[in-house]
Amino acid sequence: MKLSIAPEEAWDPLPAAQWDAAAVRHLLRRAGWGVVPARAQEALAEGLPATLDRLFPAQPQAFPMPPSVARLEAAQAGAEAEIRAQADPAQKRLLRRQLRESARAALLDMTVDWLQFASEADNAAYQKWVLFLSDIYVVGFEKVGRAPLIYRHFDLISALGLGPAPVLTKAVSRSPAMVIYLDLGQNRAGAPNENFARELFELFVLGEGNYTERDIKEAARAFTGYRLRGGSEFYFAPRQHDPGPKTVFGHTGDFTGDDVIDLAYATPAAGAFVPHELVKFYLSDTMLPREYLLALGDRWRSEGGYSLGWLARRFFGSRLFFAPEFRGEFIKSPVQFYLGMVQELDLDVLPAPRFVVSPLRQMGQVLYNPPNVRGWVGGRNWINSASLAARRGLVESLFRPLDEGALNQDEWMAIQAAAASGRGTFVVDDARFSRLADAAPEAAAAHLAESLLSVPPAPAFMATLAGFIAGPPAAGPGERLRRLRRASAALLESPEYQLC
Amino acid sequence: MAANPSSPFLPSTRREFLRRSAQGAGLLAFSRFAPSFLVNSVRADAPPPEKDRSILVLIQLAGGNDGLNTLVPYADANYYRLRPTLGLPRRDVLPLNDAMALHPACAAFRGLYGEGKLAIVQNVGYPNPNRSHFRSTEIWETASDSGTFASTGWIGRYLDNCCSGAPAGAHDPLAVHVNAINGEPETFVGAREHPTFGITGTSGGRRDNAELRELLERLAQAGGGGEEQSFLQATLMDSLVTETKVQRVLGEYRPAAAYPADGFAASLKSVAALIAAGLPTRVYFVSLNGFDTHFNQLGTQATLLRRLCEGLAAFQKDLEGHRLDGQVLTMTFSEFGRRASENDSKGTDHGTASPLFVVGSRLRGGLHGTAPDLILPRNHDLTFSTDFRSVYATMLEGWLGAPAAPVLHGDFARLPLLA
Repeated sequence: MKLSIAPEEAWDPLPAAQWDAAAVRHLLRRAGWGVVPARAQEALAEGLPATLDRLFPAQPQAFPMPPSVARLEAAQAGAEAEIRAQADPAQKRLLRRQLRESARAALLDMTVDWLQFASEADNAAYQKWVLFLSDIYVVGFEKVGRAPLIYRHFDLISALGLGPAPVLTKAVSRSPAMVIYLDLGQNRAGAPNENFARELFELFVLGEGNYTERDIKEAARAFTGYRLRGGSEFYFAPRQHDPGPKTVFGHTGDFTGDDVIDLAYATPAAGAFVPHELVKFYLSDTMLPREYLLALGDRWRSEGGYSLGWLARRFFGSRLFFAPEFRGEFIKSPVQFYLGMVQELDLDVLPAPRFVVSPLRQMGQVLYNPPNVRGWVGGRNWINSASLAARRGLVESLFRPLDEGALNQDEWMAIQAAAASGRGTFVVDDARFSRLADAAPEAAAAHLAESLLSVPPAPAFMATLAGFIAGPPAAGPGERLRRLRRASAALLESPEYQLC
Repeated sequence: MAANPSSPFLPSTRREFLRRSAQGAGLLAFSRFAPSFLVNSVRADAPPPEKDRSILVLIQLAGGNDGLNTLVPYADANYYRLRPTLGLPRRDVLPLNDAMALHPACAAFRGLYGEGKLAIVQNVGYPNPNRSHFRSTEIWETASDSGTFASTGWIGRYLDNCCSGAPAGAHDPLAVHVNAINGEPETFVGAREHPTFGITGTSGGRRDNAELRELLERLAQAGGGGEEQSFLQATLMDSLVTETKVQRVLGEYRPAAAYPADGFAASLKSVAALIAAGLPTRVYFVSLNGFDTHFNQLGTQATLLRRLCEGLAAFQKDLEGHRLDGQVLTMTFSEFGRRASENDSKGTDHGTASPLFVVGSRLRGGLHGTAPDLILPRNHDLTFSTDFRSVYATMLEGWLGAPAAPVLHGDFARLPLLA
C-alpha cells in the first residue's frame, strides 16, 4: 500500500479544514459501527476534537450486568459447594451440567444485552473500544466456564480502558477470568506454569520476538501465588509465591508480577505494540511499516504516559487515520456488520439469542468465545464463501417480517418488554422506503448508496442499482416499493457494504 | 474419475464442466475472475485429458498434542520418570511392538494399524523450535524455517505451482476447509488467489432468490477495483455458484459407515460427502481443537484422542464403502508436542517434536522414523529426528504428484510412507 503521509507527520492532528461529511462518516464507522444521520450532523458541526470527546468520554457509561448473570453470580458459590458435597457421582454430573447450562444461557443473555447496549449511538465507540481491548486481553468462555467472571473481566476493561495501559495490564493479571483462562492459578513456587507469562509478553505488551524463553521462565516465577478463592475471587498467596531473585529483560531482583509488567513496559518494544494492534483492529489489514508504529509508540510513551485515552484520541484524530488510502478499504467484522446495519437501518437487537447469536457464529464471530488466546485474526479471515453466505442470510432475515409463530414463550415476552420500552423495531418496514418511492430511480439509488456506503461506488454499480429500482416501464408504486427493498438488501449484501 | 451417481448436478468431467459453464451463468461474465487461459481454453475447446486425482486431507490437532502420551514409549523407564503422574500405565496402553504403544483411547487407530492402514512418523519437528502456538502453527502451515517468515502456505504454493491451469478454478474449490478454527487456514494461502471454500457450522436453509442473485452478480461485476473490493467480489461470485452445490451434496450424502456423534466426525462426514460427489478439490483441512493441555491433561486428551481416532476410522471405513479409499490419504499435524516432563498442574507445557499420523489404504503401515531420546534432564525438550518438511515432500511428490523443491524451497528426504 502506498501511504500518502510520512511517518513523522502521520500522527499529527487532522487539519480542521479536512473535517467534512465524508471524514465524519469514516470516523463514525471505524471508531463505532455505523452512521446515524443526526449524529453525523452533530459531529460535523462540533468539530473533530469535540467529537472525540463524545466518543471517548472521561466517564464512559458502563454496560449494566444482565439480571440472569447477576442471579448466577449470587448463586454460583452455593451451587459449586453443593456439587462438591454431593457424594453420588451421577448426581454430581447432573448438577455440574445444570450449572454449566445456566452459565451458557446467561452468556447468551449477556451477548444480546450487550449488542443492544453497544448499538446505541452514545455507547457505540466506547463499547467497540472495550471489544478492541478484550481482543488483546483475551479470555474465552469455553475455558473459563463462569459467565459472571466473563462479565467482570469486560467490566474491568471498561472501567480502566482509557487509563494507563500498565494499570490495566496489572488489573487483568488479577482478573479471575484471566487467572483461569491462562492457568495462572496453577502457577506456584517450584512448579511454574508459563502460560500467563508467555501470553503477557507475546500478546498483551510486547509481541513475538521481543523477549527470550528465559525471560518467560523467570517471569512465570514472579507470577506465582496468584490464586482464586472459591473459584471467583482473586487473592495473593505468599506461601505459593517464589520470592527469590529473577532476571527479566536483563534486570535482576526479587520481582513481583507487577514489577515484571513495569519492566515489560520499560522495554523499547512496548510503545509500538498497542499501536500495532490498533492498526490491525481499526485501520488496515495491511500492517503499516514499522516506522509509523514507532512514531506513534514513541509519542504514546513520552507524551501520553501510556494512557490509552490519549492513544485513542491521537489515533482517531490523526491525519493518517483519515488518509484517502484507508477510506472504504477495511473489511467489517461480523459484529460491526450486524451493529452497523442495526444503526443504519434504525433497528433494535432482537432480544432472542438464537436469532442473533447463530448468525454471528456462522459469520465467524462468537462473542466471549474467540478462537484462541490470540483473539480474532480479522481482515480477510472474516470472509469466505460460507461466511459471506451467512452475511447474506442475516440481511435477508432483517427484510422479512418476524415469524411470531416461531417464537417460544420466553422470546415472546422479551420482545414484548423490548417493544414496551421503545426498542421494538426488529425488521425493516416499508415506511423506510416510502419517501424514496416518488424519487427518480437514480436519486433513490444515490440516496441509498450515500447513507450505506463509505465511498461512492463505481458509476456502473450505480447504474445497475438505478436500473433495477426503475424496473419495467409499467411498474406501479407497489412494485417500486418492492424493488427499493430488494435493492437495499442487495446493497447490504454487496461487496461494497462489507467494507468501511 | 467416473461420474458419481449421488451428484447428478456436479460436472464430473472437465469437458462437461466447460460445457455447462459456457451455457449456464455465462463464462464470459466470470472471465474477470478466471485466469485468462481458462477463457482461452474454452474458446479453443481443447481440454486436456482427465487424470485420477489423489486427495490429501489435513487434520490440525490445534493447541499442541502431547505426543509422548499418544505414542507411548511404555518400555522406557525414563518415560515414567518424566511422567510420574501423567505416565500411562503399561497395563492400559495398546502395544504396537515391545517398545511403543498407543494411548488407551486410540483403540480405533490400533485397529487401523493392524490392517496396515496407519503409518506413524515418530518424533517429527524442526530445528530451533518455537513454543508460541501462533508462530509454531505458522511454521507448520508455511513450511518455513524457524527463523524465516513466509507469507504463503505450503498447500497454497502447491496450488500456485500445479493447479493454476485447472478450469475448475473459476467455480469449484481446489482446497476446502471444514470448521477450521480461524476460517481459511494459512496453509491454503498462495502467491495468487485460489478458489477455496469453507464450511463453518451448519447454515440454515436460505431462501433461493433468483432475482437477488442476479442483481448481486451484476453489482459484484460493476463495482470498483480496490484490493479488498476485488477480493470480496471474487469471493461473492464463488459463493453464489458453490453454495447451492455444496448444500445439496451434504444434504443428499449417504455415508457407508456410522460416524460418532461429535462435531469433528460431522466435519469428516462432510469431507467424505464432497469427495464422493467428485469435487475437483485436492486438499481438505479439518481442525480438532483443544490440545493445549497445561492443566489436568489426562481426561481432556483421552476425549480428544478418542474423537480423533474414532472419527478417522469411520471416515476410512466410509471411503472404503464408497471405493474411494484408494484416492485419499489423511494426515495429522500439530504445532508442537509438549514438554517431556509433566508440570505440577497435572498437565504439560509447550514442547517440541511429536508423532504424526497418516491414515489410508495406499500407504506403508507401521512405525517410521525413530523414537525420541528420553534421557533428558528435568524440563528439557525432545530433539526431533524427522523434519516435518520430509513428510510434506513425501506427500507432494509421492501422493499429489508435484515437485516438492519449489514448494518447500529446499530438498528434504522423502520417507518410505507410501505403498
